Amino acid sequence: MISRVAESCFWLNRHLERVESLARLLDVNFAFQLDVTLPEAERWLPLVVVVGQEADYRSRVPASQVDRAERVQSYLVWDEKNPVSIVSALGWARENARTIRETISLEMWETLNSAWLWLERKSTRNLYDRDRHAFYVSLRDRCFLFHGVAQATMLHEDPFEFMRLGTALERASQTARILDVKHHSVGPGERGVETPAEAAQWLAALRSCSGVEPFYKRPENTLSGAAVARFLLFDPVFPRSVRHNLLRARNFLGLVRPGDGSPVGERSERLLARTLEHVEALDPQAQVGKTLHETLTRTVGELAAICEAIHDEFFDPAPVAEPQSQRQTGQSQTQT
Amino acid sequence: MSPTPKRPRRESRRSDPALFAGYKPLSGTFDEYFDPTRAPRSEAHRVIDLLEALGRAEFRSRQQLANATFLQSGITFSVYSDQRGAERIFPFDLIPRLVPGDVWARVRAGLEQRIQALNLFLADVYGPQRILAEGIVPKALVLGAKSYEKKVRGIVPPGGVHVHIAGIDLIRDPEGEFLVLEDNVRTPSGVSYVLENRGVMKKVFPRVFGNARVDPVEEYTTRLREALDAVAPAPDEDASTVVLTPGPFNSAYFEHSFLARRMGVPLVEGGDLFVDGDKVYAKTTLGPQRVDVIYRRIDDGFLDPEAFRPDSALGVPGLMRAYAAGNVALANAVGNGVADDKGIYPFVPEMIRFYLSEEPKLGQVPTYVCARDEDCRYVVDHVGELVIKAVNEAGGYGMLIGPQSKKKQRAEFRAKVLANPRNYIAQPRIELSTCPTWTGRGVAPRRVDLRPYIVSGRKSWVLPGGLTRVALVEGSYVVNSSQGGGSKDTWVLGEEHS
Repeated sequence: MISRVAESCFWLNRHLERVESLARLLDVNFAFQLDVTLPEAERWLPLVVVVGQEADYRSRVPASQVDRAERVQSYLVWDEKNPVSIVSALGWARENARTIRETISLEMWETLNSAWLWLERKSTRNLYDRDRHAFYVSLRDRCFLFHGVAQATMLHEDPFEFMRLGTALERASQTARILDVKHHSVGPGERGVETPAEAAQWLAALRSCSGVEPFYKRPENTLSGAAVARFLLFDPVFPRSVRHNLLRARNFLGLVRPGDGSPVGERSERLLARTLEHVEALDPQAQVGKTLHETLTRTVGELAAICEAIHDEFFDPAPVAEPQSQRQTGQSQTQT
Repeated sequence: MSPTPKRPRRESRRSDPALFAGYKPLSGTFDEYFDPTRAPRSEAHRVIDLLEALGRAEFRSRQQLANATFLQSGITFSVYSDQRGAERIFPFDLIPRLVPGDVWARVRAGLEQRIQALNLFLADVYGPQRILAEGIVPKALVLGAKSYEKKVRGIVPPGGVHVHIAGIDLIRDPEGEFLVLEDNVRTPSGVSYVLENRGVMKKVFPRVFGNARVDPVEEYTTRLREALDAVAPAPDEDASTVVLTPGPFNSAYFEHSFLARRMGVPLVEGGDLFVDGDKVYAKTTLGPQRVDVIYRRIDDGFLDPEAFRPDSALGVPGLMRAYAAGNVALANAVGNGVADDKGIYPFVPEMIRFYLSEEPKLGQVPTYVCARDEDCRYVVDHVGELVIKAVNEAGGYGMLIGPQSKKKQRAEFRAKVLANPRNYIAQPRIELSTCPTWTGRGVAPRRVDLRPYIVSGRKSWVLPGGLTRVALVEGSYVVNSSQGGGSKDTWVLGEEHS
């Protein structure tokens, strides 16, 4: 497939994953901060940190207002200047889809376009003002619908695999960030018995990944930082765990590589294997309350490096008719 | 007795005036539905009955349904001037334009003949130049035209086809005669709206549609694909066909994407292609992939920064080298602009006689060529009665409609024509035919034209009907979408129903 189209497929799903993840995070936090007593600064600002926009946010909002609930939410939902706000991410998802309409199915386009038209509608703004939970749920459902429609209507070949690759890598990164920020909110210390406030934080982390019920399906799990971290990082079949998404990414990457000994995708695959190794070597019991933040920061960085490698290898190939290696072989043959 | 409804019904069918009640065709103008005595034309009876059976309120709600469908499906064009790059829907009118089958058969034959002649003209002016040598078309007019592309002289495009896709603009004079107003043989657009309009019509008027027996249009993309495949330069199993677009910001992007989608071929931008060893390749995730047919929707000047505008970021460096080497087919061919130049248009009937030894089957609008002294003098003296057009402009720009102009505009155009006569032609204003059109309150006559599409590979195929454009503004003659125009579905009716 055309490299640019592959890139749009990849990004379409990454943007959509951001929409879904952010909608869930905001929804969970809305309920969470009603339940617990927290200093103002710990209620909403951490969400800006999760999406990696703290510097931008602080530069644009007066210091006296950075903690305000409505300020944060409106920045994360409606601010078009915030590149990862819901309105921006959905707009980008739709724009990517618009440029590859010949590749995705008609039904996928209509689902996404209707989500976009819905978000732009005045009545949707009213819904946001009136019933925030319903707004976030509706947004999340539209993302689910898109994935279902894609699964049911699109050809399951390279474009689809690039989309799923985008989802997997973005989801791994989102889960790592959510875990990191909650870990930060709970703060350092020996973990054994959690205070009710700490337990509420870990529960919110699970909720933010749609993971409460799956978590309790594992009989060994009790609500502790180490158990939550272990589950969100390692569970091999939980759809939002870091490891599960890395395994899926490895699978999709294998499917889109050219084969026949082509070097395309080699570097991406190597980086991905290394990250998987690092994640699997983690010991949450030992790291929660201590070095988990450093580890997760490294994981997020490694995920970004994988995406860059995919970009270089698949999306931006050199304009020569034959792969470099074959050319060199040809030359060396004439020399000998 | 049933319980009383909570609200009175908004509009009862009985108090609803018939859709076409009070419709008055304009005098001196051909109306597509009614004759001058206000009696329905034979081909319109059935459609009028079917539409009136719906009632006005229902008609209005279906018009809203149609608009919502266009928006929901993203059948839109981009508006450059809008900051957010907003997309608009091309206004669509639900009342179809009707063409009886026997009338259409004559139009179709005329179009095939015209395209054949234009193709031969292009092969000739970029080859032996017989028509110039024999003085049928003035040599200076052709070779001196901006649209004549010297760089492709001597290049025979694969299969000898220059005009793969044509859109010929037709109007209907007060007697109902179809006349050619303009040829478009570079990158004519609009065909996606023909196909999408038809889809929407079927959705909102299933009953009306099912009873009218209309020639289908869906075949277009299959025919286009066949025509493109037919001109592939050399049999190469691995080579492929692509649609080349300037990108998502182009106003016709929807159409480029639509055609690629319906043909099942990749849609590419200039940056997706490169030339190596005079062959064209696409950058793909599996490595370089040979491309041998390009349906390009980029103007000649932007195709290849090596050969044409060096500042073009839309094109593919080296593409013209590959084209000259015969390794890639471009549809349409490079240099076609000289055949649809407004300055060349007056000579098309002579071309038909010269190349085909036939009389033209389709008439065209009498034209004054200001390059001729005699014509120029006439034009300057009759500015107020004529439509004056700059030969290098399109989209309804650079044009003066004399009878609707102000004194100052007339003086300006007179000066422009005198300063550069070769840049202008003039035509009497033709009273474009009208078609009943929904105005929001009722149905009134609005002026229409028709752009049929002709696809040519090994042979030519004419899409039944074409794009009917309608000037939605009362009294307007300008049907261009950029200037308040809309579109209608065009129904070519099976002969037994006409």
